[in-house]
Amino acid sequence: MNEKTVGVIGAGSFGTAIANLLGENQRVLLYERKTDVAEQIRQTRKVRGYDLHERVEISTSFEQVAKDCFLIFPAIPSHHFKEMIVDFSQHLRPDHIMIHATKGLHCEFDIDQAQSKHLRLKDIKTMSELILQETGIVRVGCLAGPNLAGEILDKQPAATVIASRFDEVIRLGIEALKSDRFQVYGNRDILGIELAGVLKNYVAIASGALSGLGYGENARALLITRGMGEMIYIGKSLGADKRAFLGMAGIGDLIATCTSPKSRNFTVGYRIAKGESLSDILASIGEVAEGVRTLKIGKLIVEHTGANAPLLLTIHKVIFEGLNIETAVRMLMRHYTTADADYLDL
Amino acid sequence: MAGRQYSAQDYPLPYVIEDLKKWPIYQLTADKEAFLEQVKARTREKIKSKFNTNEALKAELARVLYQERIRLTEKAWKADPKDEKQFWNNIKSKFVKLDQVNEVVTDITEDQLLDEIIDRYANEIVGEFDERTFQFAEKILPQFFGRVLSAAPGKWLKTFAGNVKTLHEKIPIIGDIEKIRHLSTKGTVIVVPTHFSNMDSIMVGWLLNELGLPAFTYGAGLNLFSIGLLSGFMNRLGAYKVDRRKKNSVYLETLKTYSTVAIQRGAHSIFFPGGTRSRSGSVEKKLKLGLLGTALEAQKLHYKNFPTEMAPKIYVVPCIINYHFVLEAPGLINDYLKETGKEKFFRENDEYSTSVKLIRFIYKFISASSSLTVSFGEVMDVLGNKVDENGDSHNHLGQKIDVKKYFITNGELNDDEQRDAEYVKLLGEKILDNYHRYNVVLTSHLVCFTVFELLRRKYKGVDLFTLLRTPAEDVSLSYDEVAEGVSNVKERLKQLYDDGDVIISPELRWNVEKIIEHGMKNINMYHTASPITRSGNTIGSEDLKLLYYYHNRLDDYGLEKYI
Repeated sequence: MNEKTVGVIGAGSFGTAIANLLGENQRVLLYERKTDVAEQIRQTRKVRGYDLHERVEISTSFEQVAKDCFLIFPAIPSHHFKEMIVDFSQHLRPDHIMIHATKGLHCEFDIDQAQSKHLRLKDIKTMSELILQETGIVRVGCLAGPNLAGEILDKQPAATVIASRFDEVIRLGIEALKSDRFQVYGNRDILGIELAGVLKNYVAIASGALSGLGYGENARALLITRGMGEMIYIGKSLGADKRAFLGMAGIGDLIATCTSPKSRNFTVGYRIAKGESLSDILASIGEVAEGVRTLKIGKLIVEHTGANAPLLLTIHKVIFEGLNIETAVRMLMRHYTTADADYLDL
Repeated sequence: MAGRQYSAQDYPLPYVIEDLKKWPIYQLTADKEAFLEQVKARTREKIKSKFNTNEALKAELARVLYQERIRLTEKAWKADPKDEKQFWNNIKSKFVKLDQVNEVVTDITEDQLLDEIIDRYANEIVGEFDERTFQFAEKILPQFFGRVLSAAPGKWLKTFAGNVKTLHEKIPIIGDIEKIRHLSTKGTVIVVPTHFSNMDSIMVGWLLNELGLPAFTYGAGLNLFSIGLLSGFMNRLGAYKVDRRKKNSVYLETLKTYSTVAIQRGAHSIFFPGGTRSRSGSVEKKLKLGLLGTALEAQKLHYKNFPTEMAPKIYVVPCIINYHFVLEAPGLINDYLKETGKEKFFRENDEYSTSVKLIRFIYKFISASSSLTVSFGEVMDVLGNKVDENGDSHNHLGQKIDVKKYFITNGELNDDEQRDAEYVKLLGEKILDNYHRYNVVLTSHLVCFTVFELLRRKYKGVDLFTLLRTPAEDVSLSYDEVAEGVSNVKERLKQLYDDGDVIISPELRWNVEKIIEHGMKNINMYHTASPITRSGNTIGSEDLKLLYYYHNRLDDYGLEKYI
């Protein structure tokens, strides 16, 4: 094989951030579905105003990516993931390794039509489960952590976690990504890491809402602490181990997204609290806020498993059912009266 | 393609390889010395790469010595060779000399000791295949099993599974026999049966012979070799010896390497991946993956040693044996209840330690003349992908795949123990899935399941152990209640069958009364205490533990909701 080349699927902000990190260590093929967008990137060497690393090349061909790269990082929103992976599947073989960076869940049916009582848990999938289902790849991993794309593109220091049941996948991921300003840790609990990355989304929406209301850091600390407990509780009901939630991809990511106005999920909550409508917000931010989907799927899950998740259900009411946000805060304040949060005994 | 179908008079099928001397297992014995050298060399290499300094190796040898001393003093068996103590004393005295580097110059090294131990183990494990013993067994066994199986309700499957499944009227055999036969000539077949009874290994061996396949090798518990009658017999039929007491790294590595090299040399093998017989009566839910891993290892070595298109392939075939009753059931379920929630390790007890006990066991089996069915699951590669009649693998999406690619990273075939261990887990999951879906539900299973669940419901709030200890005369159900329950479960099973989630025997299409009668007749045939009794309109049990044992066979289908 010639110079090692790795692939990235999706030239969104996070895909570009990963591609640039990878570019420091090897040649990178960055896949962009739309040919006109791809052409524009080729011309300008810029994505959303950020420069592309010199070793990153743009490709519009799954076939080429599959041929040149044995290690591939998909980074596209969860609601496009299935379509992408189904198209890609015919080119993929068991010697490909895939590490996804999508913090969302897939649902086999239309989530807006779904009723929790008809839900089967196997209809809800993490992205790694979707890859296993739709391709012949076995060696799958995920990447999650406090990784706000803009900060990575600005070359600020950060850390992330690569999780896989295969040590080999973790090792290769670390080798490909690691640099002086980017630490990469390994974890074998892929389900736990994926769920930690997903579930923090709705807590971030709530955090944005608190800021939108003008509340300060006491309230946010309360939210983050309680939110963490709830995330673990839901994660456990789906079979995940709590330890993943207490590391970089759990508490680390939660702090980053709950405190950064740059986080899309935070922004959604913030603007809701300012009185804007969800459809206006989503139309104007252009990219997807995974948290909105997480809320919908999360509600189905907790109704199905019976997991105790007052925060999730309340935010769901605020976002989709027009519950007044101050009322929501009052409801939640009344809810937690008994004990301090204690994750270790969950 | 379903392959051609066989009827009763076709059995035994002609051998796929006519000349016994061309059978892989024959050649393995013919080339025994070279084979053993290969096993020993590879074992040594593996141990030395794991313990790659003299200090590490020495520390490991100390552990081996310690564990062997415990075994010799606390778990000695009749089957142990007479010079066992002497051998280990000798090793120990040499080991002690390793420490005396400062005083005397000795020429003993860690490597030498390791070699001696490996040599001892390899020679203990090795089995032989003797043509004459085999031909003798071939004459005797059909008579034996003929008696056992002639009473089987053979005709039923004809009407039932005419599509994909080939059938044997005498002993119903379900599965794509032709494919297995054909692939056995193209590659190496690993049959992985469920394990309920000590009869299993003989039963499966005989069965595979009926299918016209060359003799299979398999690991038999060393304790079975203490039975005079069986010992010589098994030893010459290609069985190798497995000593479950020895858990030290050198022994386990030797055993695994033995299996790997045998498979590499084309020896078709039987593994019981459940490890020991199912204690609870339920189909295996967890597998021991050690030996299974040797199939994967052998496949990888083939890819290393041959160009891709020439590399022989290894095929894994799950096999589900369905008995109406299991002779050892009372002992097994007691073990299970004793061990539940406690230690997972079972004592290897000596229930068949003498020839007399064994003959009594076989006699009971024959005279009980109950039926059984055998079903084969999907033929798979070592990753659990389905294999077609040409031996090509297809993944769950139907994409044709090259198995070699699983072992390739960045274009290179590489060794990665952790990766391979994960692959074996995937294979294990596929095997368990096959056990579940190709399980054949017999009338006795259905009736026992329903009656026990109804009792559990009736005595709700009583925990399982209390219920099982309840005097049998204190529990009863009305016949009508049982009939209704059986009917409901039966309907659900039919649905599961249509969805491909289980196989049902044709008697399950009878009316409920006949099903209950047939099930009770078969389940009560052998045991002194009847698991199910009926007097007038009352259904009871003389042995709730046994009832529970047989009930467990269907505990994994969510049927209780449908009663």
